Amino acid sequence: MTLFTKSLCSACQDVKQEFDLEMLGIKLEELGPENPGALAHLAWHELVETVETKGLPILVLDDSSSIADADEIKDYLATINKS
Amino acid sequence: MGSVVQLSSPEQEKRMQETTDMALFVHTSKEAIDGWNREKIVDALVRETYVDRDTADAISLEVEQQVLSSGIKMLTAPLIRELVDAKLIERGLEQARMMHTRLGVPLYDAEQMIMHPNKENANVPHGPEATNLTLAEGIKKEYALLNVFTQDVGEAHMRGDIHLHDLGFIDRPYCSGQSLEYLKKFGLNLPNSLAMAKPAKHPEVLLAHMVKFAAALQSNFAGAIGWDAVNLFFAPYLVDLSDREVKQLAQMLIFEFSQQAVARGGQAIFSDINLYWEVPKHFEDVPAIGPGGTYTGKTYAEYEKDAQRFVWLLFDVFKEGDASGRPFFFPKPLVHITEKFFKTPGHEKFLNHICDVAADKGNTYFVFDRGSTAKISECCRLSFKLEQSDLEDAKEPWKMRYSALQNVTLNLPRIAYRSGKDNTRLFENITEMMKITADAHSKKREFILRLLSNEKSGPLNLLTMKLDGTPYLRMHRCTYLIGMVGLNELIQYHIGQEMHESHEATKFGLEVIAHMKLVSDKLSRKYGMRFVLEQTPAESTAYRFAKLDIQYYPEEATEIVKGDLKRNEIYYTNSTLYNVGASMNPIERTRLEGRFHPIIEAGAITHIWLGESKPSKESLANFVTKTFRYTKNDQIAFSPEFTACKECGKVSRGLHEKCSYCGSEDVDGITRITGYFTRVSSWNKGKLGELKDRYRNQGQFKKQGVS
Repeated sequence: MTLFTKSLCSACQDVKQEFDLEMLGIKLEELGPENPGALAHLAWHELVETVETKGLPILVLDDSSSIADADEIKDYLATINKS
Repeated sequence: MGSVVQLSSPEQEKRMQETTDMALFVHTSKEAIDGWNREKIVDALVRETYVDRDTADAISLEVEQQVLSSGIKMLTAPLIRELVDAKLIERGLEQARMMHTRLGVPLYDAEQMIMHPNKENANVPHGPEATNLTLAEGIKKEYALLNVFTQDVGEAHMRGDIHLHDLGFIDRPYCSGQSLEYLKKFGLNLPNSLAMAKPAKHPEVLLAHMVKFAAALQSNFAGAIGWDAVNLFFAPYLVDLSDREVKQLAQMLIFEFSQQAVARGGQAIFSDINLYWEVPKHFEDVPAIGPGGTYTGKTYAEYEKDAQRFVWLLFDVFKEGDASGRPFFFPKPLVHITEKFFKTPGHEKFLNHICDVAADKGNTYFVFDRGSTAKISECCRLSFKLEQSDLEDAKEPWKMRYSALQNVTLNLPRIAYRSGKDNTRLFENITEMMKITADAHSKKREFILRLLSNEKSGPLNLLTMKLDGTPYLRMHRCTYLIGMVGLNELIQYHIGQEMHESHEATKFGLEVIAHMKLVSDKLSRKYGMRFVLEQTPAESTAYRFAKLDIQYYPEEATEIVKGDLKRNEIYYTNSTLYNVGASMNPIERTRLEGRFHPIIEAGAITHIWLGESKPSKESLANFVTKTFRYTKNDQIAFSPEFTACKECGKVSRGLHEKCSYCGSEDVDGITRITGYFTRVSSWNKGKLGELKDRYRNQGQFKKQGVS
């Protein structure tokens, strides 16, 4: 799984602070002007337009589906955190 | 062009030597004969360079002595200038020599241009007007490289590191998008026109205004002339017309634009018409302008049916083709596929209708505006994405005028060759080349601003007209295009695989384009200009880059360039496209190429080459719908191939060496070169090489008549 975030994004910070992403096996990608790799990764998952319309964070699951809402991401991570 | 300086008759020559009166007679460009006057050299040096009068005087004396002692029988003005230039070089006055340069073409080149077609642009036929265009472009190219751009930029272009598009049109912006509403509201009122026309009262007159204005715009822009929502903006004029009359208007529109090969250089106007089945959301509540330039009291939402009638009949005409059944080359119909499209009654039938045209003639371009995206599309794939302020302008649609001021393309494979398969160097080199590109854009902007500053008395007076209170060319909405050629070959050299060969290759390709996008954003902030990425059509650039790389980087490029090296039919793959010869499933190609499109703001396209196959309209409609729903692809076009017989005039499907009707070998192929249809005989060698390599999707779609 990959969590796409950016700096100065409070919703992104919430998710990062609430969960131990590394323990959950989640790779973190921070979008920014110095990180073309993150943008390329986002484009590979066909989520560039989603970021433009829905913003960040976005969680991409192992089956390549995605969740683009901070609360839904937290709910999902809480579920797998328990299991 | 050049002045000719001739020595006088032998008698005069003798007298001249006796009196040391150099009675040289100068055949000037005004066809006058002037006598020798050394002071003219002095005057020219002082006027054109920073050389002081004493130095100029000394140089003129040396040149005079050289001419006298040489025994030359006939002098030309260019030769005198070259002798002067040689003296400047001897003195180390390189800057002065450049300023004193004479622009022109060698006699041999002029002969070649007059006698043989120029295949740089397949949209320019061979003829006297085309020769004029080529000659003028030649001089303006030299002028641009010497006088507009910095030496670094000029040399980068000459070496083939970058390509400055339309250098021969240095004194114009690149492409433009406009609204019929401008003509409907203000009439045809051009600065140099001998007569003004009030807003049209009849649809045929509106069409005449549109065609004339397009021709005028072609004289002020280098590239495409695009029109937004043409069927919708015509609609208020069509209310009382029968279907037959509307069909007649549709025919007139298409024939007018397809037969305009009498304008600049004999070149057809590269025209695009943006079309909608639905009324776009941003025009729904806009008060409609009707005959005479007056408001009709209705909004455009209320003209949906007439707009639909017109667009349907336009495609009826595209389906019929010209008098020989050939596809129309222009105008290019760009149909916007949106969420609202799929919610608008009748869309299924209309989609089948335009897919029928796509399968049969190939004309239809499918432009995908997902979510709340809205744009105007034109050229081979260029699009202007509408921002919030543009959507505000939509309330007064005549304000919706957009332009890309220039297009500069990076030779990506060369950057790979120079980077020695080292990632850090690769990305650094891309950044450096983009900085040169930004400099090129900055200089072009300065130059255009200089021309515009003369307003009514300047060469771009049409673009400064202020019928709505602001100049026609809205500089604040201009974009500056950064294109790319040969991403596939960059990847192939750098990591050893082409993009269709592995996901890793595609992912690395995405990283390169993402890097370019982020650098262009940074440069935009630095320069205060909108630098945006565009998939370069690269009709001749893909050939030029490949040729120059074979010359300068033979060791690296020989295994990388595509095409037939022995026949010199070589090319690089366009922009971010996958290898045209890769046998990929079309939906796979559309999906994978589409992953690049959201980071290429100014336009991208995927071509589906059909060869001689003729898919069913239903299968194409299904493909278009899936492309909209399940990919991020920006635009697709289906390209069939045809053979047109010059003997019997008939057209058959597929590219053949003989006419399938009369057996004549006097035939020409027709298919899409980059973003438009044209005759294969007018293609450059690189494109001919690409044509041979193209993978035709012959069995991928259900054929017509097969259920």
